[in-house]
Amino acid sequence: MTMLTDFGYILLFIIAAIVFVAVILFLAKLIRPNRPNEEKLTTYESGEEPDGNANVRFNIRFYVVALIFILFDVEIIFLFPWATVFGNKRLIAETDGLWGWFSLVEMFVFVGVLLIGLAYAWIKGHLDWVRPEVKTTEYESKIPTSLYDKINQKYSQ
Amino acid sequence: MPILSVLIFLPLIASLVVAFSPDQFKAYFKWFTLGVTAIELAICIYLYQNFNHDVADYQFLEQLDWITLPLGNLGIGSIDYLLGVDGISMPMVLLTGIVMFVGALSSFQIEQKERGYFSLYLLLTGSVIGCFMALDMFLFYLFFEFMLLPMYFLIGIWGGPRKEYASIKFFLYTLFGSIFILIVMIALYLSVVDPVETAVRIGLINDVSEITPQIITEVQNLLKDLKIPSEQIVHTFDLRFMPDAGNFLPDSWLNILSGTQIFSFSARALAFILLMIGFGIKLPAVPVHTWLPDAHVEAPTPVSVVLAGILLKIGGYGFLRIAYPIFPEVATEYAFVIVAFGVLSIIYGAFNALAMNDLKKMIAYSSVSHMGFVLLGIGSLTSEGINGAVYQMFSHGVLSAMLFLLVGVLYDRTHDRRIDSYQGLANKMPLYTAMTAIAFFASLGLPAFSGFIGEVFTLMGGFNSPLIPRWLTAIAAFGLVLGAGYFLWTLQRIFFGKYWVRQFEGTLEDLTFREKSMLYPLAILAFVFGIFPHLIFDLTNATISELLKLF
Amino acid sequence: MNAIIALSLFGISNLFLGFLNNRKILLPATLVFILIALGLNFADWNHEYYWFNNMLKTNNLSVNFVTIILLSTFLVVAISRSFGDDDEHSHPAEYYAILLFSAVGAIMMVTFENLIMLFVGLEILSVSMYVLTGSDKRSLRSNEAALKYFLMGSFATGILLFGVALVYGATSSFDIHGIAQGVAKAKEQMGGAYGPLLYSGVILIMVGLLFKISAAPFHFWTPDVYDGAPSIFTAFMSTVVKTAGVAATYRILSISFPSVYGLWGNPLVYIVCATLIIGNITAVYQQSFKRMLAYSSISHAGYLLITVLAKRPETNSSLLFYSLAYAIATITAFAVLMVVSEAQAKNGKADESFEALNGLANNNPLLAFSLTISMLSLAGIPLTAGFFGKFFVFSDAFSNPSSLFKWILVIAILMSTVGIYYYFKPIIAAYMKKGEVAKIELSPLYKFILILTTTLTILLGLAPDLVKNIF
Repeated sequence: MTMLTDFGYILLFIIAAIVFVAVILFLAKLIRPNRPNEEKLTTYESGEEPDGNANVRFNIRFYVVALIFILFDVEIIFLFPWATVFGNKRLIAETDGLWGWFSLVEMFVFVGVLLIGLAYAWIKGHLDWVRPEVKTTEYESKIPTSLYDKINQKYSQ
Repeated sequence: MPILSVLIFLPLIASLVVAFSPDQFKAYFKWFTLGVTAIELAICIYLYQNFNHDVADYQFLEQLDWITLPLGNLGIGSIDYLLGVDGISMPMVLLTGIVMFVGALSSFQIEQKERGYFSLYLLLTGSVIGCFMALDMFLFYLFFEFMLLPMYFLIGIWGGPRKEYASIKFFLYTLFGSIFILIVMIALYLSVVDPVETAVRIGLINDVSEITPQIITEVQNLLKDLKIPSEQIVHTFDLRFMPDAGNFLPDSWLNILSGTQIFSFSARALAFILLMIGFGIKLPAVPVHTWLPDAHVEAPTPVSVVLAGILLKIGGYGFLRIAYPIFPEVATEYAFVIVAFGVLSIIYGAFNALAMNDLKKMIAYSSVSHMGFVLLGIGSLTSEGINGAVYQMFSHGVLSAMLFLLVGVLYDRTHDRRIDSYQGLANKMPLYTAMTAIAFFASLGLPAFSGFIGEVFTLMGGFNSPLIPRWLTAIAAFGLVLGAGYFLWTLQRIFFGKYWVRQFEGTLEDLTFREKSMLYPLAILAFVFGIFPHLIFDLTNATISELLKLF
Repeated sequence: MNAIIALSLFGISNLFLGFLNNRKILLPATLVFILIALGLNFADWNHEYYWFNNMLKTNNLSVNFVTIILLSTFLVVAISRSFGDDDEHSHPAEYYAILLFSAVGAIMMVTFENLIMLFVGLEILSVSMYVLTGSDKRSLRSNEAALKYFLMGSFATGILLFGVALVYGATSSFDIHGIAQGVAKAKEQMGGAYGPLLYSGVILIMVGLLFKISAAPFHFWTPDVYDGAPSIFTAFMSTVVKTAGVAATYRILSISFPSVYGLWGNPLVYIVCATLIIGNITAVYQQSFKRMLAYSSISHAGYLLITVLAKRPETNSSLLFYSLAYAIATITAFAVLMVVSEAQAKNGKADESFEALNGLANNNPLLAFSLTISMLSLAGIPLTAGFFGKFFVFSDAFSNPSSLFKWILVIAILMSTVGIYYYFKPIIAAYMKKGEVAKIELSPLYKFILILTTTLTILLGLAPDLVKNIF
């Protein structure tokens, strides 16, 4: 039954969060002066003058870059717990200093894996804004091109 | 020499040989097939002559361990490669030899995709003959299912215009039935114990060869008292152990004493009914017969011959080999129902045959009617009845083969099977007329032909049986009159009167040499077996008296 | 368990192999990688090991499941024909790498000891499959399938995760053995009853996993996704993903929740029946061979679940045997479908209907024969592996004393008869329908795989104890 109360805490947190947000917003609404003008009502775009429809198409390359960024950014999270145990004096003393080396190597392995991913993205050309021409492979097909021509001729009629 | 294995594997290997031989030998495939079936027939005759008439038990036994499955705390499962023949299967094996040989001769007319055809035909031969000799229920089921495949392709590829419909209908019907058999098989497997193997497991004896009846009784007593640990129990599909109630696990579903109920039905009764449906479809018994006319009409002649000549017999054989010995008390209880279905088949089949205009359909329905007699004979549970039923199966195998060959002869010449397309053929084809007359008379039960013996004995069984009312058998006897009706009427319409054939230019030739060589021997066989019924009864008598002791 | 590490490394090396100008090396390299992983997997045979701080556990059961998974992966890769290496839009290196990664996910799903690992494995497998489903970038169907699969799949994963959280709440453990103890303790405290947390947790976990093995009523995505994905990946999905899903379901239900059988058993009865009925009946009406195979995979999920439900000591080996038989037959069917549909392509689109197979037997006896054997095996005709698979499953259901199983058996048996009808459609088309399929040239490897799978199917049908005794 103890766990049930733990879940009860979580529920309390959720309720408290909702109530808190609602109360604050409501308070702000009461207190703040309400003087809207045109500038204030425009879409916020980091100070830029909004121009045209909001539903514009972004260049697909933004997505790729954003994806890669998110991937490597999120991995940083794993460095934090590592940092807390890396310098743990008790562990270092217990293992005669081996702990430090061990955890250092561990982190290098981890970052190494990330590096491989980065290398892959790099070689693939995902990091270049202007992508190089697609290189066609040197591979020679066993099927002669004349065969394709024949097929095209046959079916184009 | 493991002669029964040779009988099974010779055609199977021959089938592979045909399947993988190069195209330039195409012309020899039929001769090769004929040769193989001739050897088969010779082996069957050899078996027939060496069969000991006085022994009721299985002969020519062959046993090999095939599959052994550890089932955890359920014990051990064993599937054997177990072959043997007794008085019930011997006539069927002989019949298979004869009909397959004749069918191979008749297959000479096949003109497209010979390789596939003859390879499948040989496959069919092997699996059918295996079905009659298998004594392990699993092996039986395997052959039983497996023969559907070649049959399915034989109808579906070389058949008539509605071949796809007919072949899938045939397949689904039979398969539906065989799934019922599968259920019973699993239930039996979980219930029945192999006392011999179990004795070896628990250390009563060192080797299977040391077994004695005392040891078996001892094992059965231990079993009854639940003294054998469940991991040591060897479950089996062996049909030889299934009739003995002592071999059933005491708390299993199908033990006669446990009285398990499923859906408020006794489990044993349910199992018996499932088997009856499964084999009844194959037989075929009304109302699950509808696949038969379709399959026959679309199948090429040799396939019809095999279908009517042998495959239908597997239904009746299954009753006698599996359903009856294992569930004798249920069989007694339901005797009336079974016979009622038999009589229904006789009358319904006969009336349908009367109404048919398609010659092949007419004969197909006459098959339904004749197989009804088998059901009647088996259901009567008398010595005459069951002997008669086996005899009827044998005789019908020979006669229906002959009938379908005769239809094939006509169809080859004119491509027309309608009865009302012909008139006065006797003038142009005297030999053909004579052969048809013999086949028709033999089928309708004229004394001195084999059909007579089968029908008379089954009817005698029906009248003698204390389990079924007389009036039921009397109705069955009325079926004979109907049979005479449709056969004689057809004979009169086709052969008598002034010669006329619908839309056919040219002359109708009489029987060719090949046709003669198929039809004459069959006619002689029908005659010989009609005059010397002991040729078959000697085989069956001992086994069937032993079987009847169970009831 | 070194197979997991090895496969991950191999996947990465595959990515870099793609930068070589020689695409031909990819296929043999991947095959060798899988074989090495298979060898490493056998090193765990007859040992019970805990790996990675009790995160995974290997025993003989898991080794067997991993073997089936890797074998299926091997066969699928072998019939991939380098993904048409003349097509510049395909990325064979990436496809092979993702296949290897998803095999890693599948292995985690059959060896997990901790629910976190189940989740991680499931995600690795699923995300890979989302990508592969949409890999035919220019096909609208493929895109639709990928999006559908992704949306539905992530929803299901969410449900699973929620279930895991609730079960953790009820038993305060993520460890599957720990959960079993927690369940027992909770039951004791509640006096034999189980609380709402455990109840909803188990049901939600079950729903999440049943979604992955496409059991009705969570099967709606299956036909569209299977149909839209490139055939090669459909073959992978219907074998590896299904095997892993069933194994995971079985693992968690049999280890963590055996003491609350009534809780998951009762709903599972209805799910099994619904799966069998919907899968089989709907398959009858399909015009496309590929869609039919999708529904057939639903129905086979039903048969597999029967033995999970029966909870016999033999369930282990029945499950393994059935999965193996099903995987081999399905891969054979897809192998035939792939080459034939491409040869019969209409307007540049592969023709995957039954008509594409018309008259196949005339010029391509090997393809027609393999197709026939695989269909017979799926239908459960004797002398094929599928028959024994069904036989074992039915035996398990039979030996369970509960009378409920008699009803399930009745349905299962009726439905396997229905199955025969639609499994014969391709055979009818190949042998009996009039049509023309030109002679299709097969590479030696392709031929070898077809012959291998066909032989295996027949061999297992003749001597099932060869493998059943190992399992």
